Amino acid sequence: MLSGTHKGGIFIPNPYPVKSIRLYQAALPDKVVLPLNERMTEKAIPCVSVGDRVLTGQLIADNEDINSVPIHATISGHVISIDEQPIPHKSGLNTQCITIESDGKDEWVEGNITNKDFLQSDPNSLIELIHRAGIVGMGGAGFPTHLKLGLAQNCNTLIVNGTECEPGIMCDDALMQNYPREIIRGVEIMLHICGAERAIIAVENDKPEAFNSLLLYNYNDKISIEYVPTKFTSGSEKMLIKGLLNIEIPSGGFAIDEGVICQNIATVKSIFDAVIEGKALVSRIVTVTGDGVSMPSNYEVRLGSSFEHIVSKSKPNNGNHSIRMGGMMMGIDVETTDLPIGKISNCIFVNNKVQKEAPKECIRCGTCNQVCPVELLPQQLYWYSKSENTDKAVEYNLLDCIECACCSYVCPSHIPLVNYYSFAKALHFKKIEEQRKTDIARERFEYREYRLERNKIERAEMMEAKKKAIKEKMAKEKSQKDKISAAIERVNKNKKNNIDA
Amino acid sequence: MHSNTLNTNQIMRQVIYSLVLGVGASFYFFGWGVLMQIVLGVVTALAAESAFLRLRNMPISPAISDGSAVLTAILLAVSIPSIAPWWVIVVGVSFAIIFGKQIYGGLGNNPFNPAMLGYAFLLISYPLQMTTWASDFLSFGVSIDTVFNLSSVDTLTGATKLDEVKTQISLGSKLIDIDLNSASQTLINIGFLVGGLYLLIRRIIFWQIPVAFISGVFLTATFLYLIDDKVYLSPHLHLMLGATMLGAFFIATDPVSSSTTPNGRLIYGFLIGLLVVIIRVFGGYPDGVAFAVLLMNIAVPLIDSYTKPRAFGK
Repeated sequence: MLSGTHKGGIFIPNPYPVKSIRLYQAALPDKVVLPLNERMTEKAIPCVSVGDRVLTGQLIADNEDINSVPIHATISGHVISIDEQPIPHKSGLNTQCITIESDGKDEWVEGNITNKDFLQSDPNSLIELIHRAGIVGMGGAGFPTHLKLGLAQNCNTLIVNGTECEPGIMCDDALMQNYPREIIRGVEIMLHICGAERAIIAVENDKPEAFNSLLLYNYNDKISIEYVPTKFTSGSEKMLIKGLLNIEIPSGGFAIDEGVICQNIATVKSIFDAVIEGKALVSRIVTVTGDGVSMPSNYEVRLGSSFEHIVSKSKPNNGNHSIRMGGMMMGIDVETTDLPIGKISNCIFVNNKVQKEAPKECIRCGTCNQVCPVELLPQQLYWYSKSENTDKAVEYNLLDCIECACCSYVCPSHIPLVNYYSFAKALHFKKIEEQRKTDIARERFEYREYRLERNKIERAEMMEAKKKAIKEKMAKEKSQKDKISAAIERVNKNKKNNIDA
Repeated sequence: MHSNTLNTNQIMRQVIYSLVLGVGASFYFFGWGVLMQIVLGVVTALAAESAFLRLRNMPISPAISDGSAVLTAILLAVSIPSIAPWWVIVVGVSFAIIFGKQIYGGLGNNPFNPAMLGYAFLLISYPLQMTTWASDFLSFGVSIDTVFNLSSVDTLTGATKLDEVKTQISLGSKLIDIDLNSASQTLINIGFLVGGLYLLIRRIIFWQIPVAFISGVFLTATFLYLIDDKVYLSPHLHLMLGATMLGAFFIATDPVSSSTTPNGRLIYGFLIGLLVVIIRVFGGYPDGVAFAVLLMNIAVPLIDSYTKPRAFGK
């Protein structure tokens, strides 16, 4: 049965459809580049040094901080460098990476704990196991899974997100068709960990093969598999919950507040690998697609392999290409294919470079209103963002914008609307930060003024006290002198009297 | 990454194409003058737009090619009598383009519907030329003669049905004594209605404004008709006379100057419809579409700020 849906959104059929979703096992790369922090958060600290031999799945960087995620070697070989390297990130900044050169043997580290009988295990120990395996949300956000699961105890519904993030991406489809047994087991592990009463696996209704393969392996009546409409932004967490459960997560709220936890389907497969097989997260499925390749495909590839490693397998044409990581709507443009595949790299778009059409004036047609899944007024937000009136933009719920780019996509004047919103958001936070700084500066200034005033008063009081003391002293001295002189006088008088006598 | 749906230029072109039936009906009843007004209007619009863009040091060709000036000119040209002297349309279109659009910064920035601003300007300045209509199909030669003032064709002119009704009623007649049949007006309105439905199906305009506009006209007219059917026209005549359908589908739906929120569009459309009937019945002019639209253009910012939709999760 097809689930309900949220308002707005757009139906975009896969622009580069393939006849059958094959999953290619990419060859072992010659070297891998593994960033110490893919999300620009707390860095892991390397526990190997240049020249060390490492095995596949071996821990190579870690941090005691609960928010950080351990890093594992994804091939066996030697560490050849630990230095700053470019990674596919919005900021375009370089980050510290460990580079390993392959010895071609792919020897796995031994002695990993497996938990085939997970139902007997304590959920907390399983969460720790998942943490040690370096698992993060693989749909794109990369939020550490152990943190999410740690908050999820006592939730009632587990949603497993099997919808592709965006049109054109096929990696989850390939995963579901190739690993249905592992996914169902993974969902059972998660059900055990978070104690939920039921799990729903959401699959888009244009993927009957994936749906049927999951159905074939599902014997658990707590787990149901449901179709959701193949509409862009159906896969966004809050929209998916709205569609499946008709619960609207309040603005600023979290799914878990409503007793719901949402997990990407690739993450669930990694949880299976970690718990049942005892394997750390060392590979993922990546889609390579776009009009610049003649064979759009899915590859299971070791993390840290370069984009080029799998792009070259998809028969790219000899033109100038624009490369985009993630989807065509929300992905990020990168300059080269010489970048490492990370835990959140779900798709690489290789497109022929085209001349961009210059945007025209907004004719206020309101098509953007119709497609906004968050039901905002993109047009008003555009005016306020353009004029840098961030207060007004925030009043029009700028901060609720999920930057899905549906509005930019449908704009007849080809205005890159979503760019204006990201800019306005950044500006808003900058203004808040500046406001905070001025507040601090003002407080400091006021305190300084107060301190100076207080010093002045204190000094005056001190002077006053001193003066008084001197005066008293002088008065005392005077009386002393008087006494002395009186005594002298008395003595003199006595002397005189004596002489006279 | 953009959708394959229509871009701004294509939208303008589609609107122009969908005017064909209405314009065709006008041509059938009024003759060649209709097309002459359109040609004069379009030429003037392009000239005025280019001249003003040059003054503003702006690139000319992108603005000219977007089709918006042409659309404004055509809407104004079909609103005025086909036998109006040539300078009427020239003055009106120039005013519409310069004072209705360019002075605010060009396409997308004008608060008022430029065509209706031009129309109101003409109606106030040249009431006689603006209310004298051809009463029959005029041949090419005769049309040339009248439009360019070469000879007078008094015998072939008359007032519109709405104008006639207004005058007769004010003289104390009852509706029953007036011939209310007007095949020409009805057919022209149907022409614009069909064109408008095409725009709705293509999703170039949203349903809210036309539906609310027509409901506004219908309900207000019905209300008056129920009070006194001897003096007030029946709702179906209000819908089929004058510029009702042109207004509902082509004028009030101008995206730039109309309300942008879904509920705002309903309010905006309904109030225009209401004002159209009020102005027709109680106002000083025979038709009220232009003034109703302009009045509601003023109210758009207010309507929009009160009809903000609730955001997801708010």
